[in-house]
This record gives sequence, structure tokens and C-alpha cells, in this order.
Amino acid sequence: MTPPCSIFDYTTFPSYVPMKSDHPTEKSLFLAALDIESPRDRAGFIEVACRGNPQLFASVSALLREHERAFNPIDNPIVNGVSSQRDNADETESVSSRPEHSQQALGTLIGPYKLMEQIGEGGFGLVYVADQQEPIRRRVALKLIKPGMESREVLSRFEAERQAIALMDHPNIARVFDAGVTATAQPYFVMELVRGVPLTTFCDSHKLDVTERLTLFVTICQAVQHAHQKGIIHRDLKPSNILVTMQDGQPLAKVIDFGVAKAIGHSLTVKTIYTRFASMVGTPAYMSPEQAEMSAVDVDTRSDIYSLGVLLYELLTGSTPFPPDRLQSAGFDELRRIIREEEPPRPSARLSTLKNELATTVAVNRRLDPTRLSTSMKRDLDWIVMKAMDKDRNRRYASAGALVEDVSRFLLDQPVEARPPSAWYRFWKFARRNKVVLSTASIVASALILGSAVSVWQARVAIRERDDKEIALQQARAAESSANRARVELEEFNERLNSCTILLASGRTHADAERWADACRAYTEATTILPKYFLVWLERGKLNAKLGRWTAAAADFAKATGIGFPVEQTELSGVPQLLFYAGESAAYETLCRDLTRTEAEDPFSVAIRGRLVGDMPPSTANELAEHVERMLLAARDARSADGEDSGPGAANMLTKKRPRYLDMLYGANLYVAGWAHLRAGNHDKAIQRLEESNEATWFGRGIAHPLLAIAHHKVGNAEDALRSFEQSQALLDRLLNDSARRSTGSPSIPFVDWIEFLLNHREASIIVKGHTPVTDPRLQQMESYAEAAIVD
Amino acid sequence: MPEVTQILRQIQQGNVAAASDLLPLVYAELRRLARYRMRKEQPGQTLNPTALVHEAYIRLVADEAINWDGRSHFFAAAAEAMRRILIENARRRKSLKRGGEMYRQELDEDEDAVIYFEEMDELLDLDAALTKLAEVEPNLARLVELRYFTGLSVEDTAQALGISGRTVKRNWAFARAWLGRELNHRHK
Repeated sequence: MTPPCSIFDYTTFPSYVPMKSDHPTEKSLFLAALDIESPRDRAGFIEVACRGNPQLFASVSALLREHERAFNPIDNPIVNGVSSQRDNADETESVSSRPEHSQQALGTLIGPYKLMEQIGEGGFGLVYVADQQEPIRRRVALKLIKPGMESREVLSRFEAERQAIALMDHPNIARVFDAGVTATAQPYFVMELVRGVPLTTFCDSHKLDVTERLTLFVTICQAVQHAHQKGIIHRDLKPSNILVTMQDGQPLAKVIDFGVAKAIGHSLTVKTIYTRFASMVGTPAYMSPEQAEMSAVDVDTRSDIYSLGVLLYELLTGSTPFPPDRLQSAGFDELRRIIREEEPPRPSARLSTLKNELATTVAVNRRLDPTRLSTSMKRDLDWIVMKAMDKDRNRRYASAGALVEDVSRFLLDQPVEARPPSAWYRFWKFARRNKVVLSTASIVASALILGSAVSVWQARVAIRERDDKEIALQQARAAESSANRARVELEEFNERLNSCTILLASGRTHADAERWADACRAYTEATTILPKYFLVWLERGKLNAKLGRWTAAAADFAKATGIGFPVEQTELSGVPQLLFYAGESAAYETLCRDLTRTEAEDPFSVAIRGRLVGDMPPSTANELAEHVERMLLAARDARSADGEDSGPGAANMLTKKRPRYLDMLYGANLYVAGWAHLRAGNHDKAIQRLEESNEATWFGRGIAHPLLAIAHHKVGNAEDALRSFEQSQALLDRLLNDSARRSTGSPSIPFVDWIEFLLNHREASIIVKGHTPVTDPRLQQMESYAEAAIVD
Repeated sequence: MPEVTQILRQIQQGNVAAASDLLPLVYAELRRLARYRMRKEQPGQTLNPTALVHEAYIRLVADEAINWDGRSHFFAAAAEAMRRILIENARRRKSLKRGGEMYRQELDEDEDAVIYFEEMDELLDLDAALTKLAEVEPNLARLVELRYFTGLSVEDTAQALGISGRTVKRNWAFARAWLGRELNHRHK
């Protein structure tokens, strides 16, 4: 335990030498010296007591110097609410029962400040006139923050900016001297005492005209510009924070509370303002849209520009852009919406809508003729105010200095830089109204590109704002996890796509080898892995179609159609026809509509054939017919060109030289052309083309018979019609018998040809024979063959 | 929890040796609370050590029968525990900051009390100075620890250390000057 203090009686000094021990310690000497009030006596005591021991003298002197020093690390204990006073601390309340009271009795000493008079009450606390006792005697304003704020945080935020705040030196900025915490854990700020009245009150009571108002406003902007250059954002510019006094007959504006809003903190969001409305003198009327976003993190110097714009608006029109009573009565979400989205009337428009009486007041206060009021500030001033108040801070003045320049131009009758937004801009802004987020990164980027001083300090400010590591960290965390999620999803998708591709390939291999069950199983598995991939359904549908499992095929195709796919794909051959045949009319219509829209060449007539099975007016059929005729012509031109190359009479050689599929295609297109002509009502042309198709070499040779029967019937050639129908019936018999012989669900022609043939034969039967054919039992037989094909 | 109360009762009954069992328990509880608070709080929030100590007291003791003597032992232990926690935290953060691995490391679940970066050096310096003070004046070091890390008032401190309020003030003045000299010397 510490030995008792005050072990010697200093009143006997200087003859008395400490007797407790022959070797006085620095502690005993220090404590003894503390009891000596007069500095001179104290120094003398030490000198005597340490005679002959310069080392002891030095160490005790150092201790006493430290004792006198105003700042010591342990003066601000790491805990809140602990007295920061040193040995004069006589408060005795226990930390566990710390009373909370904001009102301070006048005469109370807060640190070295003696409260003299309460001069104001703001949203965040009370303002007093105080007498500073040391190190210099002066009269200051002391702003005592209400309890409830985390005093430690408030102080450390202030400390973070203290350096910069100290650098601010501007006639229009009230200096902030000090900050501290009272014994009751209330943070306080000590500022230059300004005995002024709020800006708007001053302007109206002194009836400043527009020019005088603008001149005064310019000085305020210059003050803000100065602070911005030091990296300090005000965050809470409003008339009550701009006090005006008369000095030498001239109004002098002083912006107070610089650096205070930041220290008071993150709390200065629209939410706190909203929740504190009842006790609040201030209003959100001066708050920028980005501040209304709730994230105090994303506030930079441009928020102050916005507030300056609102101030100017109010100076010109006598009211804020959004009436305070409206903001006050708005719900919280509505309040944010108004600030972020609603476009206020331009100042001149606001004036012209003022009620007469009020307009007179406004005009009188500005020494204007009421009728001239709105015209005098139309255009240029409107644009200046609106540019400063733009919802998108990128479109505001880049700095308070730029705003000053434009106002000065107006005062000098020069054209201003601010311009009304273009219609395109208004649209663009509308489109992205809800989210205007400029990240720190892009501010930094623009700083690098522009390289201007303004941008650089803006970037610096922005970075400092974001320097709150935890928040940056949280964002990084969120970004990382969403990136991870996306990556995992992508990886999973790739994996599934890979296995799908393998399954499809294996399905095709099995199908080529006629191992239908295996093929079907592979495709089916693919549909479960990537059910949102059109190709898996298309592939399985085509297998089913090939096998003659019409219903299953149609269901698969309908599914693929529902997902949507690149329609120009020739892989769609026969798909519409099958959908039509199976009664999937909705899917058929959708697909045909898509096929009609596509601009692809369609050399294989995939789309045309698909559409021909459905209904269409003759004119459309005619267009299709002409389209196919052009393709036929082009094919013939190509043939003869090749023919010339290979000499005259080389028609026979053509078939050898040219790829066989082109001839097959030509044959098929003859049939398609004939069919389209028939639909268009060009029966002779139809007959010609259809007969040619029966002569050509192609897989579907003969499927023109039912169409020929119809065409002959239409031109009244009953005999030929009947003959053609009989040929059609013979073909049907042959194909059905062929299937039956092989026990398959479909004949050995492409399923597209087979379906069209079935559809057209049926139609021919109705037209030529006058009755619907009974369902051929062999078709039912084929269905069971088809089902059996996929069973092992 | 009852364990702490029991220890405090033993101390009340004169078994001062029991006090040494107190520190690890209080330390563990404070760390646990700090971690818990960190997860619950918004990012960017700092912990309030006073609140933590008091919460720990309520959780661990919360026994009307514990008198001031017992309570003071608890706070003495809490002060030391809080000092350790904050210093460990500051050291870890400092080394992370140096290592440039802050982001990755801070995702660590084991994160506890957060203090501002600007204060870290100051805190570590103070810790070193306090340790040095403890070598020459252990009781003064305890006094500073109590007031600085748990926020005890002069009167509470006087009770906790069994000395008069006047002595607390005078000792505080000396410790303050001593630490100030030490720190200023260090900076030179």
C-alpha cells in the first residue's frame, strides 16, 4: 500500500528537509510540492529540497511540468462517463449510477469553461456562452450535446478531424476551439462566440435586396469552399447554422458548427432527424438526397453544395423547396421519397404561385416590385439554384467555388454556366432516379483522370469517409459472398452443361445404333439435369418423333418451345408439323409466329413447311410460294453456272459433281413450292411443281400425291384426282406395310415427310373421296411398336 | 456464474487468496461478452468497456449479498482483464495492419473488442508505461488501471484500494505526472 502522503509540513519550508527518509523520493517531493499553491514558492521548494541532487531535481521538475500540462493520455479514460479531470476531480458518483441530465446550472465549470448564459437550443443540445479560464481568458460558445450520444465516439470522430478543423481559418467560419466530455459524459464543443441571427432572419429583417442577398451568399459559399479545401464537410448547412452580424455597417456571415455534425455523427441521417422531430428545431429541408439515402457513409462535399442550393432557393423565394410543414407531416418513407425523387418548382415558378399577400411580403423584404419579382430572377438564377440542387450530385456544381463563379457571373450580367437540362437528360434521370450511387472507386477514378485539385481532395474526403473499416469490410464481405455465389452457380452450371452435353452425345450415338431405349434414357437424364435447356427437350422430342411416339414428341417439343430457342435452327425441321398433328395448337402457333419473325434464309424450307400445315390466307401462301420459287431459280442458276464451267450438255454430270444433298433439297423444294401454290390457289403451277417433285430424287418422293389429288380436284380434273389419290393410298399402304414388316413405329422416311403425308392424305381423302378415312389399324399397331422400341 | 459469487463470498470472509481465482473467470466472461457484442453491433460501432464490465458484473455476480469489498475485488479483476483484452486486441490489430492482411484476418470469428486505429499506439504506449510504473509503484499502477479501464470514480477507487479519497487524488496526480513524463520521454 502506498505510504501516507503529505509526509512533511511545507509550512516549515525552506529550512525543513524531509525527514521521513534521508533520501526523499521524487514522489514525496512531488506530492509536497503539490500543496504549495504559488509557482514561485513551489520552484523554490524543489530547488532547496533537491540541493546537491541535480538528477532528482530534474525528475521532480519534469513531473511538475507534466502535472501542469493540460493534456495527459489518462485524462480521457478508455471508458465512457469517467471524469477526465485530474486531481481536482471531486465528483463522487459511481459509474454504475451515472445520472443523465443535460441542463447545466449557470456558473458550472466544464473543463476550463464557466457557463455564463444559455443562448440557444438545437436539435443536439444546448448552447451556452462560456468564459474560458485558461490558458487564455476569452468568451466562447459552448455547445453541450444531449446525453444519449456515445460521447466516446463523438469525441474520437472529432479528434479524427481536429487537425483539419484547426487548419480552417476563414473570416466567414466560426472557429471550433475544443471538444471534450463533461463529468456526466456529455460531449461538448467549444467555438468562437458569434452573436448573430440566422441567415434568413437577417436578410428579411434588414430587407436585403436580391443583389445584397447574393453577395452575402457568395461569402458563405467561399467559407464552405475553404472548409472543403481542408477536407471538412459541414453536413448540416442551414440558416440557423449561418449567423449574420453587422460589422462596420456590412453584414458578415459566419458558418458555425463545422466539423461538429460529423462528430455527432452517423446519427445525422434522415432517420435520426425524423425520429427527433419532436425535439428538433432543425428540419430535413436542407438535407441532400444522398443523405436521405440513410447511409451517412456516402456523403461528400457535394452534399454541402446541395444544402447551399436550398439556402439560395430560400433566400430568393422566402421558402425552402419543400415546405417544412409538408416534410414534417410526411411519413418516414414519404419524406425520403420527396427528398430523393420529387423535383421542386423552380424559384421563379415558386414565386409566381405565391399568394398575393405573401408575394408582397417576399417582394417588400427584397425591395422589389411584386410583379417584377419573378421575372427578375427567371432563367439564370433558376438554373443556378436547380443545378446546385440537382438530385444527381454528379450534375451539381463541382465545388462551392464553381457556384460562387456562377452567382458572380449573374451579378455581373454575364451568361451563367448552369443550363436547363435537356429532354434526353430528363429522361435519363427519370430512368435511373432511384439509384444514384457513386462509389469511392469512381470518385478516385475521376480524380485520377481529371487530376484537378478539387477532385483530389474530394477523393481524399471520400476515402476518409469510407475509412470506417468495418463498413468497408462489410461491403467487401457482401461483395465477396455474392461473387462467390455467382461463381459457384456458374461452376455448377458449367458442370451440368458438361454432363448434359455428354449425355446428348451418348443419346445420339445410341440412336444411330438404333439402341432406342438407351438413347431415350440418356436424353431423359439430360432433361433432368438441365431442364431449362431447350436442346435436351428438342433432342428427346426428335427421337420420339423418329420412333413415332407422337404424343411424347409433341410434349417435348412444346416444352422446348416454351423455353424458346434460336428458331433459325434447321434442327426444327418437322417440329411445327408434329405439334400441329398432335393437337398442341398453342405451341404450334407460338413456334410459327417465331418462325415468321426470323429473318433467316431458310434454304431447307423448315419454317415454310411448318407454316403450310396450318391455316393461312392465300396471299400469304402466295408469298411463300414466290419465296420458294426464288430459291428454286437460284438453285437452277447455280446449276447452269456450274454446267457452263463443265461444258455444254453436262446436265447428267451435274448430279455427279454437285453434292447430292443439293439435289435432294431441290426435289423437296419443288414439293414445297407446289404445296404453297396449291394453298395460294395457283392450281396449275401447283400441279406442275408437285409432278416435278415426284420425278426428283429426294427422301420424300411421292408425298406430293395427296396434294396432287387435291389440286386436280380443284381444277375439276376428277379422273386425275382419283388417280393421284389412289397413288397416295398405295404409298401409304407401302409405308405402313414397311413399318409393320420391320415392327417399327414409323416408316423409313424422315418423320417430317411422314407427318405431312399423313396430314395431306387425310385432307385429300376428305376433298376427293368426300369422307374422313377410318383410322388405319396399322397406325395403332405402329404406336405399340413405337412404345416397345424404348423398352429394353 | 455462481463460481464468481462464491469466490467473492470467500474474499468477504477473509480468504484473500481466493482473489487470484477471480481474474481468469472475469477475463473469460469479458472476452465472451465482447465477442458477442461485436457480432451483434453494427459494423463501425465500438464497444463500451464500462458497459461490458458492468454487464459482466451483473451476469457473474448479481448477488445482493456481495458488499463493496467483494465488489471492489471484482472491479480490480475486471480492470486487469479489460486491460489485457484491449491490449491484446490492439497488438493483434497492429500486427495485422503491418502485415497488410487486415481484411482477411478481420473476417476471423475470433474478433473481439474494437478500438480505433488512431488510438492503438497511444494505448500500447500507455500500457508499456503502466507496466513500468507497476515496477516502481504497483499500487499506483493499480489505481490507474482501475480508473482508466473500468471507469471507477474517485470514491469507488478509494474504497476499492482501501485508502482515502484525498490519497486517491494525490496518488492519481502523481501517477498522471509520472506517466506523462514517461510517455513524453518516450516520444522524444
